[in-house]
Amino acid sequence: MRPPLRRLMLVAHIGFSVGWLGAVAGSLALSVIGLVARDPAVVRAVYLVLEPVGWSTLVPLSFASLLTGLVQAWGTRWGLIRHYWVLIKLVMNVFATTILLLYMQTLGYLAGLARTAVADGPAGDLRSPSPVAHAAAAIVLLLTALVLSVYKPRGETSWVRPAGTRRGSAPVRGQAA
Amino acid sequence: MEPDADRPGARVPEARGASRWAQTPRWVRVFAVVGAVVVLAVVVMLLTGHGPGRHMNHGLGMTGHVPW
Repeated sequence: MRPPLRRLMLVAHIGFSVGWLGAVAGSLALSVIGLVARDPAVVRAVYLVLEPVGWSTLVPLSFASLLTGLVQAWGTRWGLIRHYWVLIKLVMNVFATTILLLYMQTLGYLAGLARTAVADGPAGDLRSPSPVAHAAAAIVLLLTALVLSVYKPRGETSWVRPAGTRRGSAPVRGQAA
Repeated sequence: MEPDADRPGARVPEARGASRWAQTPRWVRVFAVVGAVVVLAVVVMLLTGHGPGRHMNHGLGMTGHVPW
């Protein structure tokens, strides 16, 4: 990739990934509110809104992060499986996206419960620690990916030839996120 | 700090009988073990009915129980 395009894709990858982290943080805040709020209307509103928030932000941002990460890996000399930190980030991203897609069913289920709940009834049955746990776990995973991206720990896999034996120069730190 | 063997391009001498696992950087081994434990836990939860499909045949609002 030419440097201007590479930088543009790097900006996109960072933007989508950090956006994903922020969306998860927002979902975590909502989930905590749903767990501790005393007003049943607030509890129902939280579980009603978590699903559309997931479909409109979490899912698109996760795929955008994955796709731009793949472009960065293939388009720079970091490669996709040449460096452990890139490979581990790929595995973590695919894992998180898969779990997210599976968990959207649960968020849909919670939204259904909230939709059919009696308007002025108690919200005790709706409260669930599940969204809190999943969002917290997602934040830990995404922060770990962020640390890997910034520190780029040493270590090359043995599945590809060393960068020095390929055409061109070795990767420059900062080319991939 | 990791030894110099973790630097890009650095090659660990082929120790006799040493496995690829032993030559892998320590931080990668830690990630691999933690990741394997997490994936195993997720698979066990899915297989034991704690996955998202648990509620699919019950209809909405029937149990009030969150599957996972």
